[in-house]
Amino acid sequence: MKSPHRTAHLIAIMATAGLLSACLGNHSSTPTSATPPPPVVNTMTVTVDSGPAAAPGAINHAYVTVRVCVPGSTTACANVDHVLLDTGSWGLRLVRSVLAAGTVTLSAETDSQGRAIEECETFGGGQTWGPVALADVTLAGEVAAKLPVQIMDDTNAGAPPPATCGANGTLLNTVAGFGANGLLGVGVFAQDCGAACVNAASPLPVYYGCTAAGACTAENLALVDQVTNPVAAFAADNNGLSINIANLVNANGDASVQGQLTFGLGTQADNALPATGLTVLGANASGDFTATYNGGSTVLPALIDSGTDAYVFNDPTIVVCSTGSFVGDYCPAVAPLNVFAVNTGVGTNNATSKVDFAVQDPNTFVASAAAFEGLAGGGGATNFVWGMPYFYGRTIYIGIDQKVSGAYTGPYYAY
Amino acid sequence: MCCKLEAMVQRFATHVLWILVFGAIALPAERAQAALGGDAASVVTDTTEMHGIAHATLLQQYEIQEITNDSGMRVREYLNRNGVVFAVTWNGPVVPDLRTLLGASFDSYVEQLSALRHPGTHRSLRLASSALVVESGGHMRAYSGRAYLPLLLPAAASPANLR
Repeated sequence: MKSPHRTAHLIAIMATAGLLSACLGNHSSTPTSATPPPPVVNTMTVTVDSGPAAAPGAINHAYVTVRVCVPGSTTACANVDHVLLDTGSWGLRLVRSVLAAGTVTLSAETDSQGRAIEECETFGGGQTWGPVALADVTLAGEVAAKLPVQIMDDTNAGAPPPATCGANGTLLNTVAGFGANGLLGVGVFAQDCGAACVNAASPLPVYYGCTAAGACTAENLALVDQVTNPVAAFAADNNGLSINIANLVNANGDASVQGQLTFGLGTQADNALPATGLTVLGANASGDFTATYNGGSTVLPALIDSGTDAYVFNDPTIVVCSTGSFVGDYCPAVAPLNVFAVNTGVGTNNATSKVDFAVQDPNTFVASAAAFEGLAGGGGATNFVWGMPYFYGRTIYIGIDQKVSGAYTGPYYAY
Repeated sequence: MCCKLEAMVQRFATHVLWILVFGAIALPAERAQAALGGDAASVVTDTTEMHGIAHATLLQQYEIQEITNDSGMRVREYLNRNGVVFAVTWNGPVVPDLRTLLGASFDSYVEQLSALRHPGTHRSLRLASSALVVESGGHMRAYSGRAYLPLLLPAAASPANLR
């Protein structure tokens, strides 16, 4: 058990030190030592701030820096800052122009007919479009080698999106569109589309095969070729992660706040699950547990989503902001407005937990700030989203689908 | 009376076309037909685009056409007594083509979307004006939402019933 684990640790550490090239093809040449090797570095900093320099103004966006290399290379690499940390999606997406600025060129994967594989993914009111490519992705000391990622094609270097991509609103391929240089989807699943895109009689409009002339046709794609959550692809510490963000100081907004992203659950000395007091909410095949809002009887699919900038739910009794910078968010007539929701896990991890939270009037927020705890957005009547405000002052645990962590098996969310 | 007859004829035509679709005979995608705000024929267009099959449920004040396909997509289109689609709802692994499903209301939706804070549109959202409500929620593998025209809602069709 222990020996291959140590080997993986050493390789990962050497990879971060840039010493990997001689070792990669020959694991048996790993040097031996009288003292045990230090554990692989499995933590990295998370920062909530106003976003990439090219497009500031983000609110409640948690960012990390991701190292991306052309597969097998230790020099054709870029450290991409301000990648949005997203527990509500699966897989890494990077803006093409940002990669190009870092002089990293990733080639589109091709299907059995030699066509470029491209993808259309929906995020709320927008969609990302661009090719699927392989990259070696390093987060802290963890490496996901030859990981399928999506290139958000802001420079239109690949095939143009089919008519249906962007049809649910707008294309969000640019740094300004997403408020980030990329998106790091580290939620409860390994692949973004999953089984629904593997064997559909009519392929879903997610993955496409695109000819050199730019004609794209929806097609099925095997799981291993789909855009993949890098955490699930790590050699170790791949059963989940935790995110710990500091409490905010000011009710009307902080300029920035820091936190820590830790990979693995109970795999190292620094990532044990709490022995007591942990609420584990099992998720269904869609990645949702359930919630009821403010004593209501409607059972809503719910998730804990760092990529959503607010608590999002539907409450027709709360005034929606109609002017100012927060159109579409809630502007309660009397703030703070104290409300609650009751979460219940699905399956064997079926804990129930009542969570109180407060909705503030966002028009009282300091304009230069980037982190607001009381931001709530008007949502539809079919979902409940514990967005980024819920992360402040907490540790949130994400258990990946089918992976075991202590007494629990993913998919689950825990706090 | 004339309008009612028209609606009946349209509905008959609709049923015939469903059979064609059910029989997997490909129909040309007629994008010109709108769904929301459109007539029963637009349901056929949507059924074709989704490669789906449709079922009708007749209620006192309105009718529900439900389209499902083997990819797990479900779209319901609500028609009032004049045969006008006043609401659409969806649920499934992808968001349906809203340009088709919202029809003439799509531009209004996009306009409301552009009024939202940027960057902030990459989340579940609700856009509401006196003439159009669009709710689009969910995430990869599980999207759901609805759009309706409040001015055309029959008295018996509370938004809570539009699921």
